[in-house]
Amino acid sequence: MSTRAEGEAVPQEGASDTTFSVRHLWKIFGRNADSVIGTDLEHADRDRIKDETGCTVAVRDVSFDVRTGETFVVMGLSGSGKSTLIRCLTRLIEPTSGQVLLDGEDIGEAGPQRLRELRRHRMAMVFQHFGLLPNRRIIDNVAYGLEVRGMPRPDRYARAREMIDMVGLGGYENSRPGELSGGMQQRVGLARALAVDPQVLLFDEPFSALDPLIRRDMQNEVVRLQRELHKTSVFITHDLQEALKLGDRIAIMRDGELVQVGTPEEVVGRPADAYVADFTSDVARTTVLTARWLVREPFPGERTDGPTTEPGTVLAEVLPMLAASTAPVRVVEGGTLLGYVGRDDVLRAIAEDQLENAAAAAAIEGETSEELSDGATDPASASHVADLGDDGGPGGSATAGSGG
Amino acid sequence: MAAVTRPAAGSGKAAPGGAGGGGPSLLRNTWVQAAAVVAVLVAGYWATRALGGPAWAGPFPTAVGDAFMAWLDGVYGWIVVNRNDSPLFLYFFNYVSVGLGSAVVLIDQFLGFLTWPGVTVLGVLTAWRVAGWRVALLVLAAFGVFALTGLWNESMTTLALIIASVFIALLFGIPLGVLAGRSDRFHRGVRPVLDFMQIMPAFAYLLPFVLLFGIGNPAAAVVTAVYAFPPVVRITALAIREVPGGAVEAATSLGSTPWQVLTKVQLPLARRTILLGVNQTIMLAVSMVVIASVIGAGGLGDAIYQALSKVNVGQAFQAGLAIVMLAIALDRVTGAVGHGARTPDVPERLRLPLLGGGLVLTVAVVAVARLMGVRGWPREVAVDLAAPVNAVYEAVQAAIGPTTAALGAWTLDWVLGPLGSLLTGSPWWLVTLAAAALAWIFSGFGAGAVSGLAFVGAGLLGVWDNAMDTLSQVLVASALTIALGVVIGVLMSRNDVLAAILKPVLDAMQTLPPFVYLIPAVALFSIGRVPALVAAVVFALPPVIRLVDDGIRGVPAPTLEAARSQGSTKWQLLTKVELPMARGSMLLAVNQGIILVLSMVVMGALVGAGSLGFDVVFGLAQNQLGLGLASGLAIVCLGLFLDRLTQGRRAPRA
Repeated sequence: MSTRAEGEAVPQEGASDTTFSVRHLWKIFGRNADSVIGTDLEHADRDRIKDETGCTVAVRDVSFDVRTGETFVVMGLSGSGKSTLIRCLTRLIEPTSGQVLLDGEDIGEAGPQRLRELRRHRMAMVFQHFGLLPNRRIIDNVAYGLEVRGMPRPDRYARAREMIDMVGLGGYENSRPGELSGGMQQRVGLARALAVDPQVLLFDEPFSALDPLIRRDMQNEVVRLQRELHKTSVFITHDLQEALKLGDRIAIMRDGELVQVGTPEEVVGRPADAYVADFTSDVARTTVLTARWLVREPFPGERTDGPTTEPGTVLAEVLPMLAASTAPVRVVEGGTLLGYVGRDDVLRAIAEDQLENAAAAAAIEGETSEELSDGATDPASASHVADLGDDGGPGGSATAGSGG
Repeated sequence: MAAVTRPAAGSGKAAPGGAGGGGPSLLRNTWVQAAAVVAVLVAGYWATRALGGPAWAGPFPTAVGDAFMAWLDGVYGWIVVNRNDSPLFLYFFNYVSVGLGSAVVLIDQFLGFLTWPGVTVLGVLTAWRVAGWRVALLVLAAFGVFALTGLWNESMTTLALIIASVFIALLFGIPLGVLAGRSDRFHRGVRPVLDFMQIMPAFAYLLPFVLLFGIGNPAAAVVTAVYAFPPVVRITALAIREVPGGAVEAATSLGSTPWQVLTKVQLPLARRTILLGVNQTIMLAVSMVVIASVIGAGGLGDAIYQALSKVNVGQAFQAGLAIVMLAIALDRVTGAVGHGARTPDVPERLRLPLLGGGLVLTVAVVAVARLMGVRGWPREVAVDLAAPVNAVYEAVQAAIGPTTAALGAWTLDWVLGPLGSLLTGSPWWLVTLAAAALAWIFSGFGAGAVSGLAFVGAGLLGVWDNAMDTLSQVLVASALTIALGVVIGVLMSRNDVLAAILKPVLDAMQTLPPFVYLIPAVALFSIGRVPALVAAVVFALPPVIRLVDDGIRGVPAPTLEAARSQGSTKWQLLTKVELPMARGSMLLAVNQGIILVLSMVVMGALVGAGSLGFDVVFGLAQNQLGLGLASGLAIVCLGLFLDRLTQGRRAPRA
């Protein structure tokens, strides 16, 4: 199964564990936006479309699924259309065409009343620049979503207090947003989103405006909350480290299109194209790739008494084990032996990182294949093994991408 | 003759597009082109004189205008006859009129009911609560002036008129502003209307409302409300638009209805800015309520009007002082509400008790005062300023009267006279073409077309001669204003001490109603065209100075540093860097200056400046509404031309 979608390889609709399904979503800014879709301009360069129609294509034929409980990260540089994409999910920006299904319900079909219902109860958003109301106290900011729902004051204050405590801002209930630091303001934004107990959390680059240290704190906060609350989240970021840290799956966006959708390992270990490869080239692979990624069948005559480890162990932690033993590490999940990871596998995984072009990588692959027997080290089949061993956990391979 | 005109139009046509192609570059310079147009006009004037002024080369034929005026008179006659029969009047205008009249009377009576100690206590306490003790003292001083000048009742009437008209203006203005803030389409539609309303001189507003509401307080209240309402619409729209998009988006994403977004996010966040709009509206209402004395509004304006028509400088000064104090006090109080500065910091738990205490105190004062039979401030207990001021006036006139008279005569003979006869003595079509060509050269084709139409319009209204007379006064006053304004503005931008001194003076000058500028002008130059001209210059100067200063100070420091590092002298710095970079501000200064000059020159009719403004007043006084209305419309035409002429190629309005 490739991480790169082949256009038609759109996932099946309405799968029970899918919260959001996005199908062929387009957003084109400009007067005659409709004149682009369905014509041969559809696949044209963004600049050409701009020249010929005056329209700006922000999101181009994007399809993906967000599974219940997962954190789905959309990553891309500025101008790649990711903020537009997340706004289309809650129709803060009206999509030009395409479908957004929330639990099978087409959000595009919702009338104003229904849309408000969805926004009040089902999804909540955290914004890059916080979007707090400067004239209101923190508690009134956090309670805002409950207030517009019509919840009585004592109830909403009680809930808001709970949320304020949860994000660690107890004692600041009566402050105004202007009196808080950026990090604290974003905690308020987070509390406000959580207060309505939404089914889905949407994060639009929530930490980009914060200092690096504060940003790390906030990331840990999100990881912690995610562990406690298991909310389905869509998280927009331009920071790859953040994406790798928070994402169960990552979608990489470029010029309005999805280039690749996959687990952090897939994105780093098997970039779909040179763009993604370039993007991920600075990542230390040993901290992202796990044993599951490299697991393989044993070679004939290989020692099978090596140390054991979980499939989720990152390579950085597998390395010392391999150093201590000449036998390959056995990868065991819940008593089942998934396969083996040897020194060569790890070395190659690291070395691929250093090589600029695929040709060199292929050369190395060829050499190792010759040395070892019958191609068992081919990365494709390695992932095949991984697939076999996968039982629905976060290590699953990609679902979709855009038609490119 | 036609041969003479064509080059003018031709040079105009060639210029903007640079279509002349091979022509020398000199011809592309706007100022050269403008000079050429003026030269053609002067040549045309002399040629007409030489030909003995044939009919086809004279002023605009008045046949159409006369017919129009007669028709308007007929309409007015019909209205007078049918005012109590026609359903339109019976069920609408008369109701509005009676309702407004009673509203003004009711407010006036309520202020009377409070008695002077009650009004004073209420005013001072309110001022203290919203703006701090300094402003409270200022308000106290204002009430002191009302009382001691013996104009307490007039002041209360003016206050009642202002309250009524501001209420109407806000009632319509804020919802319209909110609409314009939320809907781009509505904003696009309403903006040109507001622009137009703001270039219309106050005097031009008066007559249509007389037509509908008759003469008196109701018409005054409506005209004041209409005149004062553009800023609140504009600023409310701006304020709603300035609310951070992130806050609105966040509120929307949480499922707010549009009404919830408006009431919970946009209005609270826009509050302060909207209050600044309210402040501007109040200030416009103050200036208009005085002018509306011409259509029978009572109060302080009437006192000034009466005094000016008797050339009683002393009395005019007293009433002028009262209106100045009223204007400044209202400005400071409402301005403070908008800025939120200096408001006493009262802890939240004390706010209600404080409010209650203030109310109790006011009620107690009113009760005691009424028990003691106190009503308005007794007229007998007043300091008569009129006599000493008149004495000073006599003395000033004796000392410099001859000088100012000579200066005035010189201006008339050598500047106003010749310019007036150039405009009235040239063939009307030549003047119109010249105006259109000038507007084209300075502001583009559209402006040229509008200007030409405006001149034809003024001609069709049948008041060509008076319009040209007014125009000549405006041109002279504007030239003076701009020259003085640029010089003072440049000096002010160079010298921080001068700026520190001038700023509060300019602030105060900008809050004064235009009417009061006539008083010192009359004191120095007696009556006639010259005092009107002087008043116009003084009135229009503050915003010009301020804009020039702002523009030059707005030039980025790094740019100046770079120019200095390349060895520019101060003069080179000014002429090559600062003034060119301040072009936007300068253009706006010229535009605003000229529009203000026009509104004041027209008002100068009250001190004998004649022409269009006089026709408005005369038409009112003699029941010749046709003439008055036509003159009012001609003023609008002139305003349109002057605005388009100075708009520049880049739209100066932000």
